[in-house]
Amino acid sequence: MNASVATLIERTPVAGWLGFSASEDDEGLVYALAFDEKHIGNPLIRALHGGVIGAFLEVAAQCELAARLGPGAAIKSVNMDIDYLMSSRAQPMTARASITRMGRRLAFVEATGWQASEAKPVTKARFRMRIGAAD
Amino acid sequence: MTTDINPAIGSMLKTARDWLTHEHSLFQSLNLEPILIGKGKATFAVDLPDEFTGADGDIHGGLMTIIMDSIFGLTVFTALEEMKPIATINLRLDYIANAEARARAVCAAECITINDEVAYVSGDLKLEGNGQLLATGSGAFMVGTRGPAKGSRL
Repeated sequence: MNASVATLIERTPVAGWLGFSASEDDEGLVYALAFDEKHIGNPLIRALHGGVIGAFLEVAAQCELAARLGPGAAIKSVNMDIDYLMSSRAQPMTARASITRMGRRLAFVEATGWQASEAKPVTKARFRMRIGAAD
Repeated sequence: MTTDINPAIGSMLKTARDWLTHEHSLFQSLNLEPILIGKGKATFAVDLPDEFTGADGDIHGGLMTIIMDSIFGLTVFTALEEMKPIATINLRLDYIANAEARARAVCAAECITINDEVAYVSGDLKLEGNGQLLATGSGAFMVGTRGPAKGSRL
């Protein structure tokens, strides 16, 4: 797996809380949110908390940038918007992220999360991020 | 504290809040404390715990999303005339300033209107001590989605 991504995950405590992991396939990096009871938002409908999904996609977007920028790069979210396309289930979630554009100071990243199949996205989010050189 | 809220909604919110603050590990770790709950308005104080920090050591934007989605959803419930399930359609957040871990913050939200089964909410997150603005956001929620009618988004 990409060393910069592994380093970022290791240095990001919220990734531990999320049970976040990354792997690589032919198409690029793939991110996973482990299922955990604490990720449930509404105990009656047993869906993942929308904010937890947002946090997962934000870490995924930051990993995608870390892979491009190299180890130790500073990455900070400026703002985000997220669409909840369908209800989630009490199951793990998988995601991919793609960099729409990366400038010198700013990057635009999209992330898509799914559960049953990649063809049925559950959530899509767009992040704008400030980026800087290695610390 | 629950003036103007439909009584049935008010008692259900209280039950949901008691359960969540005592039984739900996420909300327990955030140490949610209601400051104001009115019809279409909710303000809560929350902890920003260490375990939600990012690589820079400050609170990760993801925690702000978790807090604002939770309080925005609760605010929609306070505006309803009868209990109905709701679901977040979308959220938009600006992360204005970094917050140090272990600080306490205040999230204030308002349900602007409910029209054609869509509730529109906006709010912000500030540091409890000096009122420093951390994030602002808005969101839309579908009211009366399929699912258990007793649902609480928070």
